Amino acid sequence: MGLLKDFKYHTPVTLKEALGLLKKLNCPLVLGGGTFSLNRLKKSTKYPTDVIGLKKVSALRGIKDLKGSVSIGAMTTMAEICASGIIRKNFPSLVEACSQSATTPIRNMATIGGNVASRFFWVDLPAVLISLGAKISIAGPMDKRGLEKAASVHEFLGSKPPKKFIITKIIIPKSDCLSFYFRHTKAMPVDVPSLALAFFASLNKGRLTAVVLAVNTTVSFPVILKEAAAAMEGLRPKEVSLKSVLLALNIDAQNLRLDEYRLHCLATDLESLLGTFGTGA
Amino acid sequence: MKNIKLKINNKTRELAVRDSELLIEMLRDRLGLLGTKYSCLEGDCGVCTVLLDGKNVLSCLILAADADGHEVTTIEGIAQKGVLHPLQESFVKNGAIQCGFCTPGMILAAKALLDKDPSPTDGEIASGLDGNLCRCTGYIKIIDAVRQASQRLKDGK
Repeated sequence: MGLLKDFKYHTPVTLKEALGLLKKLNCPLVLGGGTFSLNRLKKSTKYPTDVIGLKKVSALRGIKDLKGSVSIGAMTTMAEICASGIIRKNFPSLVEACSQSATTPIRNMATIGGNVASRFFWVDLPAVLISLGAKISIAGPMDKRGLEKAASVHEFLGSKPPKKFIITKIIIPKSDCLSFYFRHTKAMPVDVPSLALAFFASLNKGRLTAVVLAVNTTVSFPVILKEAAAAMEGLRPKEVSLKSVLLALNIDAQNLRLDEYRLHCLATDLESLLGTFGTGA
Repeated sequence: MKNIKLKINNKTRELAVRDSELLIEMLRDRLGLLGTKYSCLEGDCGVCTVLLDGKNVLSCLILAADADGHEVTTIEGIAQKGVLHPLQESFVKNGAIQCGFCTPGMILAAKALLDKDPSPTDGEIASGLDGNLCRCTGYIKIIDAVRQASQRLKDGK
């Protein structure tokens, strides 16, 4: 026996085939890039008899520039996202989050779908996807018509996942927007973030609208700073005052029970954010 | 068992592998390519690095069956006709090797970087090697070696 206990490995080439296997098999493990799941298997006592690998399903790969949105196939790697001209142009915060996640070889293997499906608290992408208003498209074998269902990433993470599902793509709406991602780690830059802030705002006649501040606290699914975002709403970027945002952040901190360390990190992030606007810092 | 066909170090191979066999197991235990090392087996240390279609990946986190139809390069495959690759020579010249355990992974990660970006800055070299740990050299000599190899490759020497 090798490093992994024996299992039957299925390698479908179409989504239909993958969904058929998912329906037929009893509790199979669905494998994306493998960077989480294969590691987990090496230590797991609960072991699958069947594993479905998605690497050969070409329909789950690639980045498409649609009319009002961008679609990212679930099996697209973080390195591919970082290198994509479409993503760099429209969603700089996503490029920032992907390029800071883990290490170069992991980014060459890990997929956006796997990152979200893992439902780990500490991963980088959910906060930034929530801030961008991303939707997640899911296909399940129980849907007779084989239709995919879309839900916001926030909804997906906040609810119990279906028993059997495959994430097919992430859809991010395009808009004239500002987006940033700030990340704190404890020791090395390659560590998981101890806290990360994703900022998004649309620009309407030069004013910030639909401001979202999503925070990865690493101890819970991302939280949204409603008060701090409201303090920026409707203002021109250069008009936002650090003092008023920090005051609002204190209310968020009380509501969300953010500890002193995280509050301090967030204050630093917000200061940097306003610095990028040419104000506040 | 799964029958796979892939290119390893420029040679086409057809193999029957266990469904749950990892790429590192196939390379070391089945093919005797011992330059790819076992260590953390969690994707943290980088000593099992190989190139898969030119990209540095960790062979402890890939199933052998997933390499079907792809091209794998290990450290044994980068010297040409018995002549060391400029990166290998540069590592020797610069004393970028002490115990040598991390060296195959470092060299392959550096090769992936230089193939993509022939003139990296020191910062870009450091981030290109960020998944490869070395507990002997302190990294300075390794960065020197990659910088010099990049110059040599550009000069065509």
